[in-house]
Amino acid sequence: MSDTPWWKHTHPAVPELAEQLRDGKIKRRDFLRTATLLGVSATAAYTLAGRLTGETAIPRAVAQGSPKKGGNLRVSMFVKPVDDPAISEWSETGNLARQVVEPLAQVGTDFVTRPYLMESWQASEDLKTWTLKLRQGVKWSNGDDFGAEDVAFNFERWLDPATGSSNQSRFAGMTHVVTKKDAEGKDVESRVANEGAVEIVDAHTVRLHLANAELAVPESLGDYPALIVHRHFSDEGGDLSKSRVGTGPFELTDYAVGERAVMRRREGQHWTGDVYLDQITYIDTGGDKSAEIAAFASGQIDINDRTGVEQIPAMQQIPGLIVHDTPTAQTGVARFKVTEAPFDNKKLRQAFQAAIDHARILDLAYQNNGIPGEDHHVSPAHPDYAELPPLKQDIELSKKLLAEAGYPDGIEFDFVCVNSPQWEPNTCQAIVEMVRAAGFRLNLKVTPGETYWPRWDDWPYSFTSWTHRALGTQVPNLAYRSGGVWNESSYSNPEYDALLDQAGGTIDVNERIKIMAKLEKILQDDAVITQPFWRSVFVTTTEKVKGFAVQPSLEHHYNKVWLDT
Amino acid sequence: MAILILKRIGTMALMMLVVSLIVFLLLEIDKESVAVKVLGVFTTEEQRRLWLEANGYFEPLYLRYFSWLAGFVTGDLGESTVFRVPVSEILWPRLANTAILGVLAMLVLIPLSLLLGVFAGMREGSLQDRAISVVSIITTSVPEFASGIFLVAVFVVGLHLLPGTSTMIEGFDLTQLVLPVAVLVIYDFGYVTRMTRASMAEVMMTPYIRTAVLKGLPFRRVIVRHALRNALIAPFTVIMLQINWLLSGVIVVELLFAYKGFGTLLLEAALNGDIFVIEACTMVAVFVAVATQTIADLGYTLLNPRIRFT
Repeated sequence: MSDTPWWKHTHPAVPELAEQLRDGKIKRRDFLRTATLLGVSATAAYTLAGRLTGETAIPRAVAQGSPKKGGNLRVSMFVKPVDDPAISEWSETGNLARQVVEPLAQVGTDFVTRPYLMESWQASEDLKTWTLKLRQGVKWSNGDDFGAEDVAFNFERWLDPATGSSNQSRFAGMTHVVTKKDAEGKDVESRVANEGAVEIVDAHTVRLHLANAELAVPESLGDYPALIVHRHFSDEGGDLSKSRVGTGPFELTDYAVGERAVMRRREGQHWTGDVYLDQITYIDTGGDKSAEIAAFASGQIDINDRTGVEQIPAMQQIPGLIVHDTPTAQTGVARFKVTEAPFDNKKLRQAFQAAIDHARILDLAYQNNGIPGEDHHVSPAHPDYAELPPLKQDIELSKKLLAEAGYPDGIEFDFVCVNSPQWEPNTCQAIVEMVRAAGFRLNLKVTPGETYWPRWDDWPYSFTSWTHRALGTQVPNLAYRSGGVWNESSYSNPEYDALLDQAGGTIDVNERIKIMAKLEKILQDDAVITQPFWRSVFVTTTEKVKGFAVQPSLEHHYNKVWLDT
Repeated sequence: MAILILKRIGTMALMMLVVSLIVFLLLEIDKESVAVKVLGVFTTEEQRRLWLEANGYFEPLYLRYFSWLAGFVTGDLGESTVFRVPVSEILWPRLANTAILGVLAMLVLIPLSLLLGVFAGMREGSLQDRAISVVSIITTSVPEFASGIFLVAVFVVGLHLLPGTSTMIEGFDLTQLVLPVAVLVIYDFGYVTRMTRASMAEVMMTPYIRTAVLKGLPFRRVIVRHALRNALIAPFTVIMLQINWLLSGVIVVELLFAYKGFGTLLLEAALNGDIFVIEACTMVAVFVAVATQTIADLGYTLLNPRIRFT
C-alpha cells in the first residue's frame, strides 16, 4: 500500500492547493471551490479542508428534523414557456425545467460545484481536456438508460449555431469561427464545433476537448441552459412542454404559461434517493408584488422565487413567514460608453468616481443588504478576488478633476435605467442625488424594459444588472474584454486582455489573485463603471417549508425540501 | 328598426376597419422592430431577415395589410411571442375570465347603484340624498389600487376571512372573486349612483310627476309607474359605457389579485412587446367599445320615444 495520500492522485494542481491551504496561504473557501472545479468531490474537499485546517467542515445546514413525505409545495413564480432548455433566457424557465430534466453539475448553496448527473470529472493538467464520468443506473422517465449518447447529443445541439444556445459561448473553447456569405453577399461570422470536440469514451464516459485552458467548465455545466435532455429530444419536436421525458424527480402534468405549472413526483425511486414532496405547483402571481404578499397572508403559497428588498418589511410583518438570504456576486453597474464624448475623457470619469460613496448607496437603495462595490466587477465572494484599498468619496477632488476635464461649471447628461426591479431605479436615483454636489447634473431616464433592452449595450450612460457568476474572471471576460460579446462600455485595453488570458489559465489561487489585483486596479483606475454594491438575494417561505436554503443563482433545488404539515 | 340596426352595424364595421388600419400601421410599419419583438433582442440581423422573408414582410405595405386583415377575419391572430402559442388559445379564455368578473361586478353594481340613485334622487336635498351622495363621491375618489390594498389588509391580513389572490389554481372558487368584485363595485357604483340620482331628481321636477302627486296617487306608485322609466334612460347609457370601462379598468384589479383575465393579458403583452397579442387585444377592446355604444344607442331609442334615428 502506498503512503501517498489519495488526493495526490487527482489533478496535479490539487496537492499544491492543499499545501497552500495547510500553510495558510489560501482561504478554506478558495480551496474548496478550486479543488472541486478540478474534480475533487465536495465531500472529499470538505474532509481534506477540515483535516488540514482543523475547522469543522459543515456545508450550510438545511437538516431540520425528520423529513415527512407528501404534500404540495406551492411556489410563487412567473410561469414562462418551457420549450427548449438550451435556449432558455430566464432563470424562471430553468427552474421549471430543472424539476424534469437535470444538469451534469450543480452549484450548491455553499457555492461549491458538485457532480450531479456525473459521478465525477477529471481535468487534464493543461485544463484543455475534461473527462466526464456519468452516473450509472439513471433512468429517463420513458424507461431508457441515461448515458454518454445523451450527453454527446446535448453538446452537439449546444454547439450548433442553428440552435442559438448561449452554451456556445460557455464552451467557446470547443468551437472555432467560420465566415460565410449571407444572401446579400456580405461576410457573416459564426462559430461551429471543432472536429472531435466531444468524444464518447464508453457508455458512461464523455471527453471534452478544448482548444484553450478553461477552469469554468464544471460551473458552466451547472448553468440552467445546460440541462440535459433526452437524445431523441429534437426528433420529438424539441419542446419540453410537449415531449416531457426527463431524468428529474418530477413530471410536468399541467401547464399554462402565465398561470401555473404542476409537477407530480415520478413513480419509483429517484437516483438521489427519497424525494419528499408529492407535487410542486408553480403559481404565477403576476408582476404586482403585493399579490404575492396577499397570497402568503392567506396561505395560498408556501414559498416564492425571490423576495425584492422592498418587500422584506411587509414579509416580516406576516406571522409564520421566514425571509432567507444569501450574499451573492449579483450586482448592477452604471457604465460609461468610453468611446463616446464626453465619456472618452478619463478625468471626467474619475471625477464621477470620486463623487460616489458606495456604502451610502447600498444603505439608501438596498437597505444595506449586501456589500459595497469597488468599481472593478470582481466580488469578495469570488475565490480569486484581490482586496484593494477601499474607495473613498471626495467631493472636492471630484470638483477639481471635473474642472481639469474641462467642465469647471459642471456637466449635464442623461442616465438611462430600466424601471424594474425596483432596486435598479432606486440605486440610480441615489447616484443622481449623490453626484449633484460635485457638479454632475444627471437626467435620469427610467424606461420600460422593452425600450431599454434593445439598446442596452448602446446607451451612452446607463445602468445594467449582472447576475452571479462563480469565478472572478467570468464577467470581465464577457463585459470588459476588447470586443467581448457583452462589452457594453466598449472598453478596450490590451494589457487588461492579456491579464485576463493569464488569469484564466492560472490554477494556483495565490498566483491568480496577484493577477486579479492588477486587473481590478486597471479597471478601477480607468473608472469605466460605478458599481455601487454586491447585493444579497432573498427568498421567503412559510415556517412549514423545511430543508430549504437559498442558492446564489436562485435555482430551485427541491429534491430534499419537505413540508412539516 | 331593421334599417337602423343594419346602418349601425355598417358604421361599426367601418370604424373597426379604420382602427385596424391604424393598429397595423402603428405596430407593423417598421418591419425590423417586428422581427426584434418576435425573435428577441439578441438575434442576428441575418436571422431577422430570414424571418421577415419567410413571413412575407418584404411584400408591399398594402398587401401586408390585407393579408393581416384576412388573418384576423378568419381567426388567425398570429402566435404570441411570450406564451409561444396561437393568440386565440389565450385570448378567448382570458376574455371569458374577465367576462365572469365583469358580470359578477355588474350583478352587484347595477341593482345597488340604481337603488341608491333612485333613493337619493326621489327626495333631493334630504338626509338620505346627502348621505348617499357623500359616500358615492368618496368611494369614486379612491383609486382601485388603494381600496384593493385596504380590503386585503382588513379581510386577508387582519381577519383571515378571504383569499388574497384569485389565481383559481384549484379550480373556480367564488370566494376568490369576492375582493376583486368588491373593489370594482366600490370604485364604480358611486358614479352610476350619482348619474341615476341626477336623472331621477330631474324627472321628479317635471310637471307630469307634480301632477301625479297632486292627483293624490300614492308616492310609491308615482315613483314606480311614472318616474322610474324616464329616470333610467340616462343610467342605461352610463351602464353600457361601464362595460367598456370594465374591459380596461380591470387591469389594476386583475393585477392586484393575480386574476388571469383580459386586463393582465393586455398588460403583459404591452410590457413584453408581444406584438400579435397587443393587436388582438386592441381589436377586441375596440369591438367591445363600438358594440356597447351601438347597443346603448339602440336601447336609448327603444327607451326614449322622443329620440328616433333615421
